[in-house]
Amino acid sequence: MNSQRNNHFLSETLVSTGVWIRKTWPLLPATFYLIGFLIIVFLYLATLSLSNPSAGINFPSLKVFSELAHDQAFVDALVNSLLFTIAGTPLELLTGLVFALMLYRNFFMRGIVRSIFLIPLAIPAIVTAMLIYILFDFPGGHVNHILSGSYPPFPQIISEPLNWRGSGLFALSISMLGKVWRDLPITMLILLSGLNTIDPELFDAAKTMGATMRVRIAKIVIPLILPSISAVVLLRSVEMWKEFIFPFVLAGRYRLLGTLIDFYYNNVGNSHKAAAVAMVLVGCILLSSFILFILMDLLQKVTNRR
Amino acid sequence: MQGKNMPMATGKKIIWLTGVFLALLIVLGPVYMLVKYSVSDLSSINTGGEPIPLWPYHPTLRMYEFLFTDSQFYRVFMNSVIVSLFTVLLSLLLGVPAAYILGRYQIPGRKLLLLAIISVRMFPDIASVIPIVEFFIKLGLHQTYTGVVLAHTLLALPYVIFIGIGAFESIPHELEQQAWVMGAGKFQTFFKILFPLAIPGLAAAAIYTFLLSWDEFIFSYFLMFGRQEIFTLTLYLNGIKYAEPQNLLAAISVCLSVPVIVFSMMVQRYMVAGISTGSVK
Repeated sequence: MNSQRNNHFLSETLVSTGVWIRKTWPLLPATFYLIGFLIIVFLYLATLSLSNPSAGINFPSLKVFSELAHDQAFVDALVNSLLFTIAGTPLELLTGLVFALMLYRNFFMRGIVRSIFLIPLAIPAIVTAMLIYILFDFPGGHVNHILSGSYPPFPQIISEPLNWRGSGLFALSISMLGKVWRDLPITMLILLSGLNTIDPELFDAAKTMGATMRVRIAKIVIPLILPSISAVVLLRSVEMWKEFIFPFVLAGRYRLLGTLIDFYYNNVGNSHKAAAVAMVLVGCILLSSFILFILMDLLQKVTNRR
Repeated sequence: MQGKNMPMATGKKIIWLTGVFLALLIVLGPVYMLVKYSVSDLSSINTGGEPIPLWPYHPTLRMYEFLFTDSQFYRVFMNSVIVSLFTVLLSLLLGVPAAYILGRYQIPGRKLLLLAIISVRMFPDIASVIPIVEFFIKLGLHQTYTGVVLAHTLLALPYVIFIGIGAFESIPHELEQQAWVMGAGKFQTFFKILFPLAIPGLAAAAIYTFLLSWDEFIFSYFLMFGRQEIFTLTLYLNGIKYAEPQNLLAAISVCLSVPVIVFSMMVQRYMVAGISTGSVK
């Protein structure tokens, strides 16, 4: 009786799967392509990071990770990536917010100005990195000349030209600058779409009741665009963790996790260590997204209660 | 902060205008510098300690002339074109049928599939590149155009599907039903009615894919590392950064950027929509 029921269930499942496949077969090549690659990525990352046969480490073992934890290059890259994300995300949020507030008003040629503000997004990241490479050249780049007071009315700020790519702090700072400049339109557009959902009469009513600009931004704008701010914080922090091109071109030996993967893979030739760093990077992204999600959710609840 | 249309006091208007001017300077300043360097003569770059002029002493198009007659640059340029075009072709071949089904039919598991498709793009490129390179080495696809095209297709496919879904969804269902009533089969309805109507959206997807492949760096770098003859423009630019004069670097950068800027303006509407929904990075 039981086996009859099982057979019936099996044949029904096969028939419904068959119907589904017949209806949706054009979907299958793309689905297999994407999901196939996703499986390959996870499989290879796990196999590579949990073993290293040439060093006598058989699958599955965490030895590659424990070796990594004692590697100063990895610790430095992890700290650099963390600082890059902590400093870069609010900077992107702030610049995006300023640009979005400027575009919020209706004014003559607003469409053209908006199109101009989108230009950084249209410039390839490698080109932006190369441009910063040229502008921040040592000793004779434009920025060094500006800061030396060579272009009046700019005041002299430095007496000696700075070697921007020669120090970790400066190299990662200019990498962040490039990243923020290029991603500015994305942040701006997300925040602008949030701003556009606010009823303009709210501002006018607050103004009529004597609320100052600071109060209007703090009590109306920020709470009402908090969902957009949360989206920016979450998405941009992930992008900051993932960043590769700017530190690759500009920061050389001052590495983030992304550029450390390149170093281990292409320079050292150790795919196992590279895969282990990739796993750590994915872990960092998941953990930081989870923490930020909780924090932003909490902030939203507190704001709603007020 | 006030309503969109509320008039501003003169003082505030001046502050706001100054802000817009500074913002335009921040955005356009670097672009101007790029163009300026690309038309600079050497004496405007190697100034011997003197400040670099804000406009070259003797503006020249020599770098562009050199590039357009340089066989190496031509080869690299063609490599980029070949990789980008084949990526577009493969992405559309796989993505359009998928977008058609997802955009026109409420199939079971649709949401889960969409989540799986977009989750491919959530994974960091720099983390997924090692497994893909290792896999391609086993298949003999490492350091080949095919490998790069397959990898770029992986990056572009989710966008093609999502933009395509939008294009197919916007076509009224009545048109399809009328075609069926008049005896057209599924294939005929797709090729004669739905596909032509979806072409503007699919063209945007194609342009977007072209751009993505054109300025992609991470996969190209890892997959082509060590084989210069198949380098694309992005890799070529990175490879010569220590050796070549800055005006040549800037000219190559302009050549790399112009198609992207022009095409981006054409698909701006789709990019903006993509950013607003969080699907574009």
